[in-house]
Amino acid sequence: MNTSVSSPIIDTTPPPGPSPKGGLRAALSTPAGRVLLILWLAVAGVGIWGVVERLTSGHTGAGYGSYVPWGLWVAMYFHLVGLAGGTFVLGALGFMFRWKGFERLAALRTTIVLSIALILPAFIGVWLDLGRLGRAYRIFASPSFTSMMAFNAWMYTGFIVVALVALWLTYRKRSSWLRPVLALGVLLSLAFPSQSGAFFGVIDAKPYWNSALLPFLFLVSAIVAGAALLLVVRYLQGRYEFTAWDQGATDNWEAAVGRLRMVTLAGIVVYLVLEFAEISIGFWSPVADAPGLELMLWGAYWWVFWIVHVLFGALIPIVLLATRRKVLWMVAGALTAVAFVSARLNILIPGQTLSELKGLNEAFYHERLVFDYKATWEEYLVALFLVAVAATLFYLGVWATASISERRRTQGGAS
Amino acid sequence: MNEEPEQNPSPEEPVRPSEEPLPPAAAEGLKEWSRREVIKMGGLLGLGVAVGVGVVAVSREQGPPGTPEGDTTVRKLPAPPPAAFGDAEDPLLGMQRDLVRAMAKPREQRQWMMVIDTRKCVGCMGCTIGCVAENKLPPGVVYRPVLTKEVGSYPNLGIRFTPRPCMQCDEPPCVPVCPARATWKGPDGVVVIDYDRCIGCRYCLTACPYGARTSDFGLSYVEHAAEGAPTGDSRPLEGTPAAWEVLPSHEYGKSWSRADGGSPVGNARKCHFCLHRLEVGQLPVCTTTCIGRATYFGDGNDPEALVTKLSVLPNADVLLPEKGTHPRVYYLR
Repeated sequence: MNTSVSSPIIDTTPPPGPSPKGGLRAALSTPAGRVLLILWLAVAGVGIWGVVERLTSGHTGAGYGSYVPWGLWVAMYFHLVGLAGGTFVLGALGFMFRWKGFERLAALRTTIVLSIALILPAFIGVWLDLGRLGRAYRIFASPSFTSMMAFNAWMYTGFIVVALVALWLTYRKRSSWLRPVLALGVLLSLAFPSQSGAFFGVIDAKPYWNSALLPFLFLVSAIVAGAALLLVVRYLQGRYEFTAWDQGATDNWEAAVGRLRMVTLAGIVVYLVLEFAEISIGFWSPVADAPGLELMLWGAYWWVFWIVHVLFGALIPIVLLATRRKVLWMVAGALTAVAFVSARLNILIPGQTLSELKGLNEAFYHERLVFDYKATWEEYLVALFLVAVAATLFYLGVWATASISERRRTQGGAS
Repeated sequence: MNEEPEQNPSPEEPVRPSEEPLPPAAAEGLKEWSRREVIKMGGLLGLGVAVGVGVVAVSREQGPPGTPEGDTTVRKLPAPPPAAFGDAEDPLLGMQRDLVRAMAKPREQRQWMMVIDTRKCVGCMGCTIGCVAENKLPPGVVYRPVLTKEVGSYPNLGIRFTPRPCMQCDEPPCVPVCPARATWKGPDGVVVIDYDRCIGCRYCLTACPYGARTSDFGLSYVEHAAEGAPTGDSRPLEGTPAAWEVLPSHEYGKSWSRADGGSPVGNARKCHFCLHRLEVGQLPVCTTTCIGRATYFGDGNDPEALVTKLSVLPNADVLLPEKGTHPRVYYLR
């Protein structure tokens, strides 16, 4: 292990204190940083185009309809909240129980910033999905908690508040509230990915969704994807100076990456086992009739399950994580964090593409009244926009927390 | 752990110690958990769980947003006299009298219901189109499609038609999933949507096993009619809906204009048994347009009403009874 970066008394932050200019200069100083910056510009550019299309022409450019009412944006929403929950759970638990590489306040701040940076674009995605954008506030003004959607929205909001409070407490000298507040954040961030599963599980009208296993599948996938993304972030943080990291954020990063590698690996295996349980129950019944499963495995989107989910989201990452090279773990983490959106799609779409009433799609023809869904280019662009927003928020958050730390340190305050 | 050659975090810039060393981990407050911390944690977690349980309990006990009830909802409407054609009266006239009788009661004493005799349905789709015209439904929105099913094989073939309005379920799965309290079961048995409250999340669309809710995506029949049309005065304006498309509908007794993207654009929409027609003594449009007289409508609380008598026939059934929704639409098979 490289002791020069794991020692707690070494500062990897280049003095003087970080500034937006310095951060950007640092980002451009490495080839990888330049590649990321160009990628970000491209993704943000085309993403904004999609958002403008959505705002100017309403839902006319989207591929969902009345019989498949939710598409890629809702999948992105659930994936991003899962990522947010998963990263927070691991970062907070690691800090609370002093896992090596997680014990620094700076590492905790990175995690909190990351989870907030993920959950806010999730809200944007689901907001753009609404039919009446201006009425989103009604979930807060006149909620009905018999709806899992209202309950989720409140839980996410509560989580953001708790995460911000925790972030603020990290700057308080030895606050006895930090770990209790983190514990509440962990409770919330375990609850809301599970609730995302319950969101679908309670829909009796869709037998494919109506499973008690769904909350577990969503929770496990959240932790897997969260661990994988955090692995990528901690690796890049440790390896490269894209920006002036918060002081101490890179301490013991190799140990953190090692821990996250194991969590990701174990999580993928657990997810596959749970998924196998779900599929096997459907198919080994003596009177097996599981059209939703058949659609997922052998239907038009078979490749989403086999190629994106199983191959890129599970098998290749397992192989890469089994090696001893950290750079391959990072690649595995990136693959898993991205490809696990297919786990959401594999639940979301087949569940909707089956009608309980046979013949409904032929009864009155319209392109919005079909049990089929294909994401449009506008939906893909908006999805890219959400990614760009997450990246921007993360960068700005890291820069801001590092700036505050630096100012406090130079002023002699608590770091 | 494998040593990698490129482990220096900043190859171009050597790692340097800071002017002021970071405090060791213990100095950042990372000592053992104190009793105070454990108590605070327990308190916060307990509070969080209690708040969650509390709000769910309150929501479950909460009634629907107000719907007018009582004497103000009583309507004194003229009843048609009996008129026999041959030895039978058109059932529409009997249902019209049933309707007048029901409207003379306060809203909460009526329980609207529908019976559809599938043996009489000829599959003309008149009800579907009548409904589209009555409620000014845009493309992609339908309240009452007619499902068609072919049975048997040649030469013993048959076609079964199943008109599918909203079932106005007594246990409507679409209602509790609404996050904004925008839909509820009215006191007269009809599940209503408040277009001014609906946020357009479409959760209710997924919750309905009958697919009875559709979303108004703001589409227009003719806004793209200009594409490929000849130039000249008769050429339609690109991107502009026709005047008849933005005529207001009168659902729920209000005037709704889709012009400029107003509600119900963006909302969930569904059959409401033409509540606005009932208010003025008219039967639902699907009932009056049914050329086979296969659709019956009336007050399930009225023992004299035709629907009440038909709904208890031995061949009366409901769609998807296994869903436990208790529909208020019965089918005679």
